[in-house]
Amino acid sequence: MNIEVAEERTDDALVLLPVGRLDSSNARAFESIVMERIGGGERRLIVDFSRLDFISSAGMRVLLIAAKALKTADGSLVLCAMKNHIQEVFRISGFDRIIPITESREAPANGSA
Amino acid sequence: MMDEFHVSLAPRLSAVRSLSRMVEEFGDANRLPHPKVYMVNLALDELITNSVTYGFDGVASPRIEVTVRIDGDALVLTTVDNGRRFDPTAAAPPDVDAPVERRPIGGLGLHIIKTFADRVTYEYENGRNRLTLEHDLNPAASKGRRQSDEEHR
Repeated sequence: MNIEVAEERTDDALVLLPVGRLDSSNARAFESIVMERIGGGERRLIVDFSRLDFISSAGMRVLLIAAKALKTADGSLVLCAMKNHIQEVFRISGFDRIIPITESREAPANGSA
Repeated sequence: MMDEFHVSLAPRLSAVRSLSRMVEEFGDANRLPHPKVYMVNLALDELITNSVTYGFDGVASPRIEVTVRIDGDALVLTTVDNGRRFDPTAAAPPDVDAPVERRPIGGLGLHIIKTFADRVTYEYENGRNRLTLEHDLNPAASKGRRQSDEEHR
């Protein structure tokens, strides 16, 4: 199943905005999009959660793969604008300690210089 | 308004979407708090994905039955399947403190749903797995943020 992903650009990063649900049925499609962008040379990625209502561990897995790939390539992944119930899932998983989560696109990442 | 719904389905990833809409409608009809509805849908996505991926090798007529009901102050999700015997309550939790380089790519889903549930029970009976997840609807009673790790260590 496909997923709608809007794309925007800031001065130095590509912003991906997945829309609706990111679950086991469309996580592969999202993975292809993210890995294509990284393969195409993007090094600073922001995933903006403002239009995402639901994410399961299948979707989180894609973010972990992206974080690993970008770390190897000296890039960065930042997640922003998460709804509270989604942020709680990231906290329980310990993902908030390995991938920076910010309030908004402009806010500095926790712990980054 | 009804306080229970029940579906029997053949395990396919595509079933997750229609099931999720049913859970949302059930949540709206019963004015359930959105985070609780989210937890049930999260659990269904994880459980059905696990079943489809690992659970039914060699099973002739794979079937999952899903029941969502309100029992007093608890929202109760029960899944019964005729797949391979698997006790999710016995699965070891992942290391959620590992740095990104050492994070395994899988194994998170069960940890998330077990942590959010207030009570988890598993039984294997007559060749069927039965898993029950209970979420307290009364905020004072709900543990919600319970750290379930200790009981698995």
